[in-house]
Amino acid sequence: MADIVFRNVTKRYGTTLAVDDASFTVNDNEFFCFFGPPLSGKSTILRLVLGLESPDAGEILIGGRPVNAMSPAERNVAMVFQNLALFPHMSALDNVRFPLVERGVAELQIKKRVADVAAKLHIGHILHKPPAQLSGGERQRVAIARALVRDPNAYLMDDPISALDARLREETRVELKRIQRELGKTLIYVTHDQEEAMSIADRIAILENGRIRQIGAPAEIYDRPASTYVARLLGSPMMNILKSARGEGGVEAAEGTIRIVDKAAPADAVEIGLRPEDIKVRPWPIDGKEDGGQGRPARVFEVEPLGGYTVVTLAAGQARLKALLRGQPDIRPDAMVAISCEPARVHYFGQSGGALAR
Amino acid sequence: MSAIQLRNLTKTFGDFTALKTMDLDIADGEFMALLGPSGCGKSTTMNMIAGMEEPTSGKILFGERDMAGVPMGRRGVGFVFQNYAIFTHMTVRQNLAYGPRMRGAAKAEIDRRVGAITELLQLTPLLDRKADRLSVNILQRVAIGRSAIMEPAIFLLDEPLSNVDAAFRAVMRTELKQLQRQFKQTMVYVTHDQLEAMTMADRIAVMDHGVLQQVGTPLEVYNNPANVFVARFIGAPGMNLLKGRPAESDRGLVVDLGPMGVTPPLPDALAATLRGARGDVLYGFRPEQVALAQDRRGLAMPVTFVERIGARTIVHLGQGDGAVKAVFDNDVGLSIGQTAIVAPAASSVRIFDAASGLAMKAG
Repeated sequence: MADIVFRNVTKRYGTTLAVDDASFTVNDNEFFCFFGPPLSGKSTILRLVLGLESPDAGEILIGGRPVNAMSPAERNVAMVFQNLALFPHMSALDNVRFPLVERGVAELQIKKRVADVAAKLHIGHILHKPPAQLSGGERQRVAIARALVRDPNAYLMDDPISALDARLREETRVELKRIQRELGKTLIYVTHDQEEAMSIADRIAILENGRIRQIGAPAEIYDRPASTYVARLLGSPMMNILKSARGEGGVEAAEGTIRIVDKAAPADAVEIGLRPEDIKVRPWPIDGKEDGGQGRPARVFEVEPLGGYTVVTLAAGQARLKALLRGQPDIRPDAMVAISCEPARVHYFGQSGGALAR
Repeated sequence: MSAIQLRNLTKTFGDFTALKTMDLDIADGEFMALLGPSGCGKSTTMNMIAGMEEPTSGKILFGERDMAGVPMGRRGVGFVFQNYAIFTHMTVRQNLAYGPRMRGAAKAEIDRRVGAITELLQLTPLLDRKADRLSVNILQRVAIGRSAIMEPAIFLLDEPLSNVDAAFRAVMRTELKQLQRQFKQTMVYVTHDQLEAMTMADRIAVMDHGVLQQVGTPLEVYNNPANVFVARFIGAPGMNLLKGRPAESDRGLVVDLGPMGVTPPLPDALAATLRGARGDVLYGFRPEQVALAQDRRGLAMPVTFVERIGARTIVHLGQGDGAVKAVFDNDVGLSIGQTAIVAPAASSVRIFDAASGLAMKAG
């Protein structure tokens, strides 16, 4: 068992609260991702788990044992560094052996451990090569093998694929997820790429200024963000968030930008959130009866074709909205369109930015 | 006139050919993206346009004027690089005013230009901040402003957004496009990110290994890639390509994919092209244009992975050379190990010659 538990953990650097009263449980064998902007506390949490930092308050448990007083070596948690940090002058085999050789483990034992980990990661056939002769995916596996050869309780990765270009990242993240599933070991992962976080994590913890704002499965957080902060972090283009007021029979957003007829709208909502893919765009004028008078006019400001999708920026009332449409619709800048959104797809937020139940 | 013509442009470094006989016409006021992976020659091309490097052979013309021997400072080009070059001891205003002041512009003129550019780039509230107090995002915005304020006829940008964070990148894409619309410069934009090229450029020049692969509007290169490199590089994920051989069936011409079975019948125009062809082909289709078929009229493939990314679900199917991806708008309820029957939309199917990698045109 290698679950990792934080109980009210706080870490300060001078007057800066790097981690502020964080409590969470990473389950055994879970792929757990920390996501947030720079300086939100992601890397500090990793350092606290590794034992490179000790908390100012609170308790950390690994596999049920309090580890606050334990050295990094005693904790037996492995780290896979950004850009993998393989030794270029050593073969893949010597890279993988290195942590054991360094610890003076007996040769027989080393051979057995390396063979085990190489089999698990399917790298037996490339161990003789130097890193320069390996593909990106192979290097990834070798770096993970090096981290796992000690049989750690859990392993950590700090933005391991951020240096790769977009196409390679798409492939590598899937590869990482497969490896983690096959290995069945607790993995704590830090990324700054929201798409990567949603793609690979079992659960995500969203951080803001050292505080955990929401923990949940990616789909759960995307579909039910706990606040406008979280709502803006996941999703591309990001969620449209508009000031709102209650009007006759519905909610009016930002002076007539869009109209939502929703009897269940919470009375204390001050902002509404609309995912770009939830905004319906039709040619203007429309037959007002058709949708109960929900369609509002908007001017097309910008059209960005992505091929499979099209992002349309709309100028409506005082606001700019982004809509994500399927395919390659024939919409041009300056055209007038009608926009609407199904009430069930609307997110409501209160005075402090917190999500409100409808 | 600030049209740019590249004629037979070649650049070698010792034995290495960085750019091979490139011909490209960039129209006055056009937003042209040079797109490709690292080492494709895009930055070399831009450096030669800027005058930072001399071509080994070939010509660069601005309008009708040959740029051979014209130094960088006399070409009337503005640039922005990946790493912003900002005077950190100066305020935003001083940084922006620096260029016009060096050129001896009048104070009123400088103020007018600084006002216009800060408005456009949303820098007005930060005008009197010292640059060393600004985030990377804002510094890159200042760098863009500092070049744009010179109102160059040609604006060259080399991966200007690769160091800024994702959310800000989306904002900057829109701003750069606005900037170009307002000032109507000729923009040459170097990037390895197909999304940036697709969303901003009027046309994209796709490059690989020093060779221009295709020039076209974003939708032209997406819809009708000239070869398999472009097909794979454009789109996220790229186009699916499956190797097979044309074969007659009772439903019309199909592609026999070997152990994977046969494809649905090809549209008539493609079938006509393929009937006379010999050898293997690649059957291509976009991940976004795949339907799940209920009957056997599709390719039966095992689901190997499912990614749900916000509203999109990317389903990975098959393995090795037979791997494809399909993108759906919602959770289609497929899970690993299941078999899905996928049917590419007939209109989205593209065929490439397996030996040359070139697209086979319908008709």
